[in-house]
Amino acid sequence: MKDLKHMIYFEKLLEDAHNELVVKAQEEGGLAIGYTCFHMPELLLNLDKCFSLRLRAPKTTSLEISTYYMSNYVCEFCRAILERSIEGGYNFLDGIAAVDACAQMNRCVENISIQKLIDKDKFFMSHIDVPYKVDDNGIQHYTNQVRLRVLDEMSKLGVDTSDEAIKKALDIHNEVCAIITEIGDFRKEKEVRVTGHEFHILNLITYTCPKALIVDMLRETLEEIKARTPDDKKWRARVVLVGSEIDDPALTEMIEDTGALIVADRFCFGSFPGRQQMHLVEGEDVLTCICRQYLEQSQCPRYMSEDKIQQRYDMVDGYAKEYNADGIIYEQIKFCDYWGYERAMASHVMQNEFGYQVLSIDRPYISKSSSGQLRTRVQAFIESIEIKKINNSKGAKRNGK
Amino acid sequence: MKFFGGCDVGSTYTKCVILDESGNMVASTTIKSKINPEISANQALVDCVSAVDGINEIADLAYLIGTGYGRNKVPQAEENISEISCHAMGVHVANPSVKAIIDIGGQDVKGIAIDTDGTVKNFAMNDKCAAGTGRFFESMANAFEISLTEFSNLSLTAKNVIPITAQCTVFAESEVITLVGEGKPREEIAAGIQLAVAKRCFVMAKKAGAVDSITLTGGCAKNTGLKKAIEKVLKLKVIDLHDNGFDPQLMGALGAAEYARQKGLNA
Repeated sequence: MKDLKHMIYFEKLLEDAHNELVVKAQEEGGLAIGYTCFHMPELLLNLDKCFSLRLRAPKTTSLEISTYYMSNYVCEFCRAILERSIEGGYNFLDGIAAVDACAQMNRCVENISIQKLIDKDKFFMSHIDVPYKVDDNGIQHYTNQVRLRVLDEMSKLGVDTSDEAIKKALDIHNEVCAIITEIGDFRKEKEVRVTGHEFHILNLITYTCPKALIVDMLRETLEEIKARTPDDKKWRARVVLVGSEIDDPALTEMIEDTGALIVADRFCFGSFPGRQQMHLVEGEDVLTCICRQYLEQSQCPRYMSEDKIQQRYDMVDGYAKEYNADGIIYEQIKFCDYWGYERAMASHVMQNEFGYQVLSIDRPYISKSSSGQLRTRVQAFIESIEIKKINNSKGAKRNGK
Repeated sequence: MKFFGGCDVGSTYTKCVILDESGNMVASTTIKSKINPEISANQALVDCVSAVDGINEIADLAYLIGTGYGRNKVPQAEENISEISCHAMGVHVANPSVKAIIDIGGQDVKGIAIDTDGTVKNFAMNDKCAAGTGRFFESMANAFEISLTEFSNLSLTAKNVIPITAQCTVFAESEVITLVGEGKPREEIAAGIQLAVAKRCFVMAKKAGAVDSITLTGGCAKNTGLKKAIEKVLKLKVIDLHDNGFDPQLMGALGAAEYARQKGLNA
């Protein structure tokens, strides 16, 4: 397939959290607000002159110091964020809006806050509570938390947090989501015109760069993909990738190098959920409406009620069917509590109750440090899917089907 | 007559197997791996090819498949297949009744369940850590200043077992040195090391879904002391592929050669 015009530039932007578009936006008076989880309403961090950056730690070296503060048995993503803070990687931020969604990230942001790791003038750090129940009380509590701990902090920096400002931010948020969704829909096609790795990079860009500075390039990329001649490469299998944070494009690249096309991305930093458009409802308070949609869209395994668990299985089943997947890969970053339980249960359920072929892997945050073993696991999984497909088609031919 | 090759480039040994059209093993080679996997593969293949009448060079093989950690560095290979799939197929060729494998290689341990057609039903693999691998045994034998064979035989003479608590190769070595320093019987320490690895294998075998029997593949399959310890810990019969006339260390290369034979004949 013909290379996409902006892809090399996008990859370069992902090499550092403080990339050149962030620098440019700040030089133009923008305020960079970092956040760590889907449960912080990204849209609301893009009001007025603010822009959101979902924190990644691409240049983190060894996790020695964060391990000292947080122990070996804490999620490597959380440790990497702390380590990068200690290394000074987020000193450019004007604020961090964190959530109490998991105890491990709480410890990370607690350390950033207590140790005063970001020493920038007017830097603010806030932390909101996220309810476990998505009902009217929970939504109201969550909305209050967002108003008191995030929007009020932003107001102190002179940011317009009015309903009008929210509506304006909603427009560009929805435009980016619409572009990503339209590109993502091409993954349903039998013939491939956008790979999972390319899609991953495009989606990561939307989380880590000021949206106003990338939307034109994304629009252009969408048009390129529409006109692109599909790949004649023979993919060995189509897979849904499910799990915790994957902010490292090297991982999706490694998976696709084995011949597996990633057709749907249900992981943190993926597009399910995260890149669905938001809609205002007439008669409903604007802020409450946005907060409600974030809580309702969340598919995080932190929710342990039976209906939510079943919903997650059904959702992955739905993606596998919609995107014609042959198998499912469940992955987690080492020591992530929630995905540790989810991966163990779901990989069993999806295999034995839903009948999918499933690979279950845990991995370090920096996947290249374990790439040989990960590659062997993924390749063996893909071979197993491929051989079974061949054997099944031989069986079907023998039976005259 | 056409010949088909499989080359398993492992971290410590490189193995090569050549099959004829009927699936008979006509040659095999095992050499110590060098730092460059391409050189290792080339040497093993040249040695193996030279043992077969009717072919003179690697290019004379009708189909060649690479496997092992250096699988994508095998010169002139048509394709590469993961060692997990190849071990399953190799064991299926050697003894089709075997349904589960514990493969202990130089740098990893794998549990593999085999389907009726020799394909992989399920597998589990250790983390990037030398615990329970060939490297672990090498390190322990070094601590005793004996060879691996002597280490295996030593463990079989133990009347009691001194448990080794550390799984990490580095920490286990210091634990062993401490125990030796305390004057504890060496054979009982050696038996404790075998038990520690057997427990590691238990986890892999159960994760992969072993039910009634398993077989050992990889270089460590030659460790009789480990086989005994696994039988004791897993309470499963350990099928010895030597009884079927096959070297368990060659299973990856044999599986690769069998895949090469199937693909070459269908090409």
